[in-house]
Amino acid sequence: MPLATPPAPPIVRNAVTASGLWRAYGSGEAQVVALRDVSVAFASGAFTAIMGPSGSGKSTLMHCLAGLDTTDRGTVNIGDTVLTGLGDKALTKLRRDKIGFIFQQFNLLPTLTAEENILLPASIAGAKADPAWVNRVIATLDLSDRLSHKPTELSGGQQQRVACARALATRPDVVFADEPTGNLDTRSSAEVLGFLRKSVDDFGQTIVMVTHDPSAAAYADRVVFLADGQIVRDLHGPTADSVIDTMRDFENAVPLAGKAA
Amino acid sequence: MLRATLKGMAARKARLALTSLAVVLGSAFIAAALVLTASIKTTVDDLNGDSYAGSDVLVQPVEPETAGERHVRDGVPADTLAAVEAADGVADVSATVTWMVNAIDDNGKVLGGFAPTMAVNWGDESVDRELREGRAPESDDEVAVSAQFVADAGLGLGDTVTAYSLSTDETVYDIVGVFGYSGDRDSLAGATELAFTTVEAQRLVFDGRDMYTAVALTAAEGTSAEELLRTIEPLIGDESTAMTWDAYMEETNARAAQTTNLIGYFLLGFGLIAVFVSVFLIANTFTIVIAGRLKEIAMMRAIGASRGQVIRSVLAEALLLGAVASVVGAALGIAAGAGLTTVVANSFLDTGGSSLTVPVSAPIAAIGVGIAVTVLSALAPAVRASRIPPVEAMRSAAKADKPITVPTVAGAIVTAVGVTGIALGLTDSFGSDRTDMLAAAVGAGLVFVGVSLLTAWLSKPLVSLLGLLWSWTFAGKLGRRNASRNPRRTAVTAAALMIGVTLVTATGTLLTSVEKSLASQFEDNIRAELFITGPVTSSVPATFDPEVMDDLREVDGVDAAVDVYYDLAQIDGTEQYVNTSSDLPGIVEQFGGELLEGSMGDIGEDGVAVNEWSANDLGVGVGDTVEATFTRGTEAHELTVVAILADNEETDGWYVSPKYAEEFYTPEPNLGLVDVAEGADVDAVTAEVETLLADEPAVSVQNHEEYLSQLTVFFDYAVIAIQLLLGLAMVVAVIGVINTLILSVLERTRELGMLRAIGMTRGQTVRMVTVESVTIALFGAVLGVGTGLVLGWIVQLALVDSGIDEFAVPTALIAGYLAAAVLVGLLAAIAPAVRASKVNILGAIAYE
Ligand SMILES: Nc1ncnc2c1ncn2[C@@H]1O[C@H](COP(=O)(O)OP(=O)(O)OP(=O)(O)O)[C@@H](O)[C@H]1O
Ligand SMILES: [Mg+2]
Repeated sequence: MPLATPPAPPIVRNAVTASGLWRAYGSGEAQVVALRDVSVAFASGAFTAIMGPSGSGKSTLMHCLAGLDTTDRGTVNIGDTVLTGLGDKALTKLRRDKIGFIFQQFNLLPTLTAEENILLPASIAGAKADPAWVNRVIATLDLSDRLSHKPTELSGGQQQRVACARALATRPDVVFADEPTGNLDTRSSAEVLGFLRKSVDDFGQTIVMVTHDPSAAAYADRVVFLADGQIVRDLHGPTADSVIDTMRDFENAVPLAGKAA
Repeated sequence: MLRATLKGMAARKARLALTSLAVVLGSAFIAAALVLTASIKTTVDDLNGDSYAGSDVLVQPVEPETAGERHVRDGVPADTLAAVEAADGVADVSATVTWMVNAIDDNGKVLGGFAPTMAVNWGDESVDRELREGRAPESDDEVAVSAQFVADAGLGLGDTVTAYSLSTDETVYDIVGVFGYSGDRDSLAGATELAFTTVEAQRLVFDGRDMYTAVALTAAEGTSAEELLRTIEPLIGDESTAMTWDAYMEETNARAAQTTNLIGYFLLGFGLIAVFVSVFLIANTFTIVIAGRLKEIAMMRAIGASRGQVIRSVLAEALLLGAVASVVGAALGIAAGAGLTTVVANSFLDTGGSSLTVPVSAPIAAIGVGIAVTVLSALAPAVRASRIPPVEAMRSAAKADKPITVPTVAGAIVTAVGVTGIALGLTDSFGSDRTDMLAAAVGAGLVFVGVSLLTAWLSKPLVSLLGLLWSWTFAGKLGRRNASRNPRRTAVTAAALMIGVTLVTATGTLLTSVEKSLASQFEDNIRAELFITGPVTSSVPATFDPEVMDDLREVDGVDAAVDVYYDLAQIDGTEQYVNTSSDLPGIVEQFGGELLEGSMGDIGEDGVAVNEWSANDLGVGVGDTVEATFTRGTEAHELTVVAILADNEETDGWYVSPKYAEEFYTPEPNLGLVDVAEGADVDAVTAEVETLLADEPAVSVQNHEEYLSQLTVFFDYAVIAIQLLLGLAMVVAVIGVINTLILSVLERTRELGMLRAIGMTRGQTVRMVTVESVTIALFGAVLGVGTGLVLGWIVQLALVDSGIDEFAVPTALIAGYLAAAVLVGLLAAIAPAVRASKVNILGAIAYE
């Protein structure tokens, strides 16, 4: 019975998915449950922010997604790869090849120049980074005349831009950024966030970023709110104001057990 | 503030443990050296106490004033023995006959080695010999041997042994007994003994005269040793002398102490080097530890702690650490000293037990030096820490290297002054030899210190250069960068190794140069291809029958065969080497000698030829007469100088008529020189000479190389001794490198975490740390080799006048040192590398 083929639904490929994640630290009385049954997916080519009060489990979630921390229950996928149960070697290789990182600080090796830092993941892999791509990233980040400088000779903003370039240089499936602008002033923050936004728009990069700053979250396509180890809100197309409103909203709703520092 | 210090220390146990290790090691070495020296001395004293034990008075022959240790002596005559035996107040008498002999082992060779082979008379009761097998010698062709002899010679009960002395020909004896010594010992200090009947022992020792080496008397009840001595003294003739046993022991122990003190200084030298190197380690560790605590210190300063308080808190920490570590070190050192004493006593002295002596100086010196060194080493980092303004330290982690201008400028100045001193000293600018030598020596010391100061400056280019060796891997590249990251730290760490390697390279270079100079002079001078000679360690100098020479001359391909007799004679009251030969002109020709005046043919019966240097020494020339007394000679001979030889290492000494050979210490030739004809097959000649020597157990035929290696055998021991020194320096260096690396790894935890997070594997991390380690170690070794070569060269230049005119590089040794440095680097990397690869990524990247 010949039937007309129905039009394919738009495929939203997920770069990262997590389902039913549990993570607890310590045991007995002192046990802290950092993640309780978190299920979330991050679409490919999208910029997602994770927000929440201090101690709500944002970093823990990110570490579990990136294969830096183990989970007690639940599974994590990066692309087609199931992270759960992988050994240290496989996880290291996965981080090297599929994931980019931007930390709040200590991103760069002080012994290497900016350029060498950018090429670090490729060097570690013993591979050669695609020079055209790297040049494009460097140009976009406006780092061309800083390449031979050592990190100590760069400003904090410049250092974070080098870190961004490093994270993107291998074209990872996903970039995880934990408070990348936490140590920067407003102007440098804007530069770095602007670049992250641009890399999503122009290069189709997937980015997951933890932040405390509503105006930083506003650069994202979507904001996921965590409180007490659970996802409490999921906001698409955020603005600084809508983020602040949402935060106020759920902070009132969810009584926090006095753990926000 | 003190409470904060203590709490701080408790929180940094791992770092403290590492710092302490350096202090522990330094003080342990000092304590061990002092304990070992004192214990060896007591042990040797006890050992000496074995001889004539239990007697009160000792009668010995008067030593002729001019006699050397090996002189054929007279003994105490038999009538003196009879006289003292009959004296009042004598309870017991034992008479000893003993001197060195040569015995031939189961391979037909003379028993050698460092401990002598002694003939003794079995009847002597002054030593506790205990028969283990068989019986005592009863007739003159029987012998009882010590258990040590059985072990060394491979002969035992029922076998026969051939032995001879200076005064006897080879004689075959039946071994009828095997004995040991009280305490179940096989030997006394490793010596082998052959016990004969008294008559046979006298034949071997005194050429058959009825004499004794010593007579030991025991006083009767109620008579003191002093009283007995007074009774005896009038009874003994001019040729004998008496003393109490206590006085004898005092004299013997004092003589032994000269050797044991030497060992002590040597060991203490080891200890001091360990301490010197530890200073670097401790200072380095404190610098790093304080660098890691800058924030804490800044915070203290910010909340109102004064600079003085900061310094005091660091020093308090150093004091506490120094005290604990040096007490531990002293205890360990004493234990090690005790252990080593047992090893030395059992394996070298064969005392069957050792007497542990712990001098008070051992713990005092070890703890004192340990504490002082720690506190002083911590002073500079403490002052530096206190100078850091609070704001600066509060700022972010990435801090630039501190400039190294001060040590570099100081190092350059000190090195320049040192080089100037050496140059002036070597060019004889001061007019006096002493001042010139002193200037060169001080200069060399300054160069050493200067280069140590320059290490930081040298480290940047050198470390990067050495690091290139591993740069083909990325981990290697990172390791290389890390090694040159903190020049000060790398330099100080490498300096620990550099010091040791400098010392051994300098000594090694000097010894090699001396050896090479000797060898090439030898090659230049000596004409003979083959030498007939025995081992330098045999108890009685090796000799052979001069008639062999006649047979040798008949061998096809032999141009000349010359016999040489040696003696250490008295010429005009001074000790001089004397040679003779049945072919006096031949000896000069074979030795490459050159006559300046006169002719060897004029020596005749009462002439003497001499080399220029010795002639000048005694202020004699051709036509002058000298008085010569040979070792066995009973009277002086008047000899006229008839010829002067040009100076040459080989012809050194005096040449007399062969008729005096019978008055020489050994009346037979000690050396045969065989000149092989041009074009003849040396191997064939050697084989033939060997056949002719089949009946001469004491000697063998040797070529130049073999002969030289025998002459320079002591250098080989010296080289081994300095390798031990290196071993010590290596141990300290390993600890130093581990220290630095662990602290660096701790300091770089975040960085390591970041690297691991972005995909660096554990293996790469391990490689990175290992490269850093090996590079630092190699840097130290390369600097040490360089400085050592220069210092060795300078000393060689200073010795050119003494005949050390060639410079030689001990390439094999140097290659060994570099290989050892790589090994040090690898070993030191293990713990830090494992630690780095196990860095908890999450912990490392978590923010403060
Ligand atoms: N290694 C650990 N051991 C014990 N508890 C931990 C550990 N890591 C995180 N936690 C706890 O888990 C909870 C979640 O921590 P997490 O670091 O994920 O919070 P966060 O949302 O990133 O906070 P912040 O905004 O302050 O960075 C907290 O209560 C924290 O104390
Ligand atoms: Mg966090």
